[in-house]
Amino acid sequence: MATEKRKVESRNDVFVERTATKIWQEIESPNNPYLADSCLCHGYDLLELTQKRSFVETLYLLFRGELPDADEARLLEHLMIALINPGPRHPATRAAMNAGVGSTDREHILPIALSIYGGSHLGAGEVEPAMDFLRKQRKHDPRQLAHELITNGIPPQEGDWHIAPGFGSRFGGVDTMPAKIAKHLADLPGKHETLLWGCKFAVALNEHSLGWLSPAIAAAVFTDLGFSPRAGAGLFQLLGAPGLLAHGVELSNKPVTAMPFVKDENYVIKYE
Amino acid sequence: MSSNMNDRAYQLWDERRGKIQSKKGGWIIGKGVFNHGYSMMDDLVGKVSYMQVMVLNATGRLPERAVADWFDAIHICLSWPDPRIWCNQIGALGGTARTSVVAATSAGVLAADAKAYGIKPLIQGVNFIQTALLDFKRGTSVDEIIRNECAKHRGKPNIMGYARPLAKGDERIIAMWRVQKALGLPIGEHLQLAEQIEQSLLKNFDESMNINGYMTAFLSDLGYTADEVYRIFAVLVTSGVTACYVDTRDKAPDTFLPLRCADIEYTGKLARPVP
Repeated sequence: MATEKRKVESRNDVFVERTATKIWQEIESPNNPYLADSCLCHGYDLLELTQKRSFVETLYLLFRGELPDADEARLLEHLMIALINPGPRHPATRAAMNAGVGSTDREHILPIALSIYGGSHLGAGEVEPAMDFLRKQRKHDPRQLAHELITNGIPPQEGDWHIAPGFGSRFGGVDTMPAKIAKHLADLPGKHETLLWGCKFAVALNEHSLGWLSPAIAAAVFTDLGFSPRAGAGLFQLLGAPGLLAHGVELSNKPVTAMPFVKDENYVIKYE
Repeated sequence: MSSNMNDRAYQLWDERRGKIQSKKGGWIIGKGVFNHGYSMMDDLVGKVSYMQVMVLNATGRLPERAVADWFDAIHICLSWPDPRIWCNQIGALGGTARTSVVAATSAGVLAADAKAYGIKPLIQGVNFIQTALLDFKRGTSVDEIIRNECAKHRGKPNIMGYARPLAKGDERIIAMWRVQKALGLPIGEHLQLAEQIEQSLLKNFDESMNINGYMTAFLSDLGYTADEVYRIFAVLVTSGVTACYVDTRDKAPDTFLPLRCADIEYTGKLARPVP
């Protein structure tokens, strides 16, 4: 052990003096430099935005730096509605419900649910890989790619197969709701190259009991709207947050008996 | 796959509906609480340390007391109450924002699920030293192992477990060597190789092993996998985060590192009218 080399010396890394942002500007009050007298989002006054633009347009502005055109805003709004609730059976929603029925402090319900919604199976953790996949593969023939993945892929011994990020089976079959949502979004006016490619890819997978899953729909729309893949996971969580919260709140004034508790005879301990 | 699935595609899920099958244990009301075959109240409480049970729960194997004491010591090394550390600062921000201690500590723990610091580098550290030992046994020299790693980083010795960020040298290793010796825990072949790698790095790059390199080599000698190490250390930073929370929670709100408007540098578009 080289004890003499354990002497600790700073590398004197150079850190910035101030954190920089291109997103938000706060103009200080003349009387107190800690108070903001006005706020600007990418150069637009916040109060002017409230009067002239929708929430969806402002959300797009936050991430893209410019306001969307009508087609882009419509596409994002339809996606937000379509993905507003992962549904009461999704593990993230059930986490919210567990928090609610257990009388967890209500401000924790959403963070708890969003943590679980960050998973890489039908969650936010699948969105960035799906965006990377779509950006890389959308120039290739979707049928040919589906054939290659099916031919070369190895399904898991148990459970659903995600043959590509955001594409696969759910409960052993093709999940029809994401397919309907994707078709609806693809039929909206505007350029949806990634979404259309995804639809063709999903159709090619259908005969193998595989297809669209909701993270890939979000990924395709985010890609078509020009969002960075790095934003994909968080945006997906944001879109599902209202439903997660609503289900948690619904149970938050109920007794713990308002959700099932697995009976002892159905709780089996089996050590390996 | 498709033909079977069409028959009873959801059989797997039907089999599990309304039932839990645990490989870990559970509470059988009237009989007791069981954990990996141990009766919690009869076999564990008062007989083993909390750290032993923590490792048992993460890996399925109850470590001997000396190993658990080593885990105890390394946890002290890896979390300290300095709010300049990113996860700790989240705890401090939670305190100044009057978040609950549980939320702030959980948020800080979550923040350490990071690649730049915290828990994820341990996975890389274990993978590096275990692969390096296999290569070494196949005849690759220590210098070659280092050259191969440097080649991935434009010639720089950015090897996980060596060349500590922010500072050179790592005082924690001295402390842990002392603990390891006192506990009578042997130096295995991974740790021996780690020392050889360090000697080469010192000679060629004036860089030494950091705590990640030491602990991942030591844990590899004990047979832990990268996934197991990740699971054992899931709440690695918890005590430091809580300390930083408490420090700011006991002061006036919003007084931790307060920022004037001008303390954020705006580099975006100039003011413009909303179309």
